[in-house]
Amino acid sequence: MNVAVMKTKAEQAISESFEAVAEKLPGSAAVKARRAQAIGAFSGLGLPHRRIEEWKYTDLRVNVKEVLAPAVEDKTPVTIAELLVALGPLAHVDAHRFVFVNGHHRAELDDVADVRGLKIAAVGDLLVSATEDMSAMLASTPEGGDAVEALNTAFMTDGAAVRVAEGASVAKPLMIVFVRAGSQASSVAVRNFVTAEAGANATVIEAHVVLPGASPDVQLNALTEVTVGKGATLHHAKVAVDEGKALHLSNCDVTLDADATYRNFQFSAGLGLARNGLNIIFEGEGSKLDLSGAYLARHSEHIDTTLVVDHAVPRCESRELFKGVIDGHGRGVFQGKIIVRPDAQKTDGKQMSQALMLSEDAEFDSKPELEIFADDVVCGHGTTAAELDADLLFYCRSRGIPEKEARALMIESFIGEAIEKVENESLRDALAAYAMQWLGRSPRG
Amino acid sequence: MLEIKNLHVKLADEDRMILKGLSLTVPKGEVHAIMGPNGSGKSTLAYVLAGRDGYEVTDGDILWNGESLIDMEPDERAAKGVFLAFQYPMEIPGVAGLTFLRTALNSVRKKRGEAELTTPAFLKLAKEKGEKLNIDIEMLKRPVNVGFSGGEKKRSEILQMALLEPTLCVLDETDSGLDIDALRIVSEGVNALRDKDRAFVVITHYQRLLNYIVPDKVHVLADGRIQKTGGKDLALELEKSGYAEYTHKAA
Repeated sequence: MNVAVMKTKAEQAISESFEAVAEKLPGSAAVKARRAQAIGAFSGLGLPHRRIEEWKYTDLRVNVKEVLAPAVEDKTPVTIAELLVALGPLAHVDAHRFVFVNGHHRAELDDVADVRGLKIAAVGDLLVSATEDMSAMLASTPEGGDAVEALNTAFMTDGAAVRVAEGASVAKPLMIVFVRAGSQASSVAVRNFVTAEAGANATVIEAHVVLPGASPDVQLNALTEVTVGKGATLHHAKVAVDEGKALHLSNCDVTLDADATYRNFQFSAGLGLARNGLNIIFEGEGSKLDLSGAYLARHSEHIDTTLVVDHAVPRCESRELFKGVIDGHGRGVFQGKIIVRPDAQKTDGKQMSQALMLSEDAEFDSKPELEIFADDVVCGHGTTAAELDADLLFYCRSRGIPEKEARALMIESFIGEAIEKVENESLRDALAAYAMQWLGRSPRG
Repeated sequence: MLEIKNLHVKLADEDRMILKGLSLTVPKGEVHAIMGPNGSGKSTLAYVLAGRDGYEVTDGDILWNGESLIDMEPDERAAKGVFLAFQYPMEIPGVAGLTFLRTALNSVRKKRGEAELTTPAFLKLAKEKGEKLNIDIEMLKRPVNVGFSGGEKKRSEILQMALLEPTLCVLDETDSGLDIDALRIVSEGVNALRDKDRAFVVITHYQRLLNYIVPDKVHVLADGRIQKTGGKDLALELEKSGYAEYTHKAA
């Protein structure tokens, strides 16, 4: 018996569900062909499992038992008032809004007036219109061996295609909101394209939120492809806040041209099983990258951050700081691979991953990997896993702060150091508010 | 009034005794200095007064206004008016000074049965108290003590003290790491808090601090016990003769 070709029930179900919905998925003939090719690739690869190094700690073969029906259509009514409730603290972030419900664009919930230098379209529309633009965009998606990205291509229904024009500076952030609504548990696949042309400057926030009363179950697959042009600056954040049962598979593939600045912050809380993949390639010299994030895991939640930073050219700088708070039977996974190619001299890379363990059963797996082929580089990495500092706890309590509140304050302190990486002040406040909600503290007045 | 009676203390996980029958009385309205050589038990006394884990009181008692502190948690003691100014104030990255101060102040007020302060009322108070200590409100928007100089950290300790309005103030080596200017500002801050209802225990290795914070009494602590008590002149004597006499006596 050849074990490798044995399909799990879930893998079988995914292929069957593609057959069932293929006709209803949006797309021109070229797009449909691309989907068929992608499901074929998935079929060969199967769900990632622990014997694949990149998935060592997050075995989807074991963890994905059932497959939810794809949300190929959606008519769930959602009002703006409901959307604002779903956004919670994020509703206070002053931003242009582009909104999707269960993976489908809802123009009536948008708040994007004509913004100079910003072009935005729904990927669902582009897929159907078969413009050359779209074909070029899809063609650029790496064929690689990633089964999750292949599934995204096969099932994607919609997403945001964002282009910031050359030299344009868009002051107000753009928030791409993915909201889950309705009692139907489903799987959702969305694809975003974000391009900052040469010299452009913008802030893009992806928010994954849930309407009160929505089904707690979802299988989300989100892929965002980012291109940062010469001398451009892009601040990017993804915020995913859920109720503890969601399967959240996310990838962000980024290419940076010369002298570009790219910052990405990942905030995750209440995700049942999450994989935040970040793949960055430096293609031009003199660029700066900052990847950071904060995650909160409790009960039996599992949050995996896996990043690959490829220094393919000289004189680039990369910084990573990820902080996780792990309670109950929660598990945090961090894999950070930094590749410095033979030509990439004068590379400056620093990575830090820290976990705060709040319970006996909390688990943290950290795997930094440096692959350095150049000789004139500065690269460092560190990992810590620790409990709350007893001396600091005493300091707080000696100031009259009761133990429970002192602990919460210290957790806030720990996570706050990562949140400080977010440059937009109102987003920073919103994330701090989420963290406080998680800790069961009332927000500061 | 603070009454320490025959206090015996050891580290929780070691047998060696650190305080061996220390007795001391500090009436309200007075400042008492505790001086002593390294390893005499000065910092242990400070920590035991504030209720830090890791110490075991094997005998004796600590009474504050007639109530035993020994079984109280650190935050309960704070609510009863006990405050320890740390020798090495802790840094709390990611928490703004103002948030920390307001959380502490309102926790204490709540336990004392007083109304919590609103944000504007708190800010006004923090600004007012801060100005006296040369602490700008902008400095308090930064994370607690992070990136502060030694002097700034000590001033921030005294600001916490001024805001929490404790009645028993314990200063543990507040002069360590301070230059003359910082020492003066910190001392002025402490002197401004001297009050007929407030008792101070000032722990120090050197006499210098006592030029600025003039004590009512000076106690020499060596080998876990008060070896001698005198007026402020005792500190000057110690500065000349050192602690050899007491350590010798102890040995």
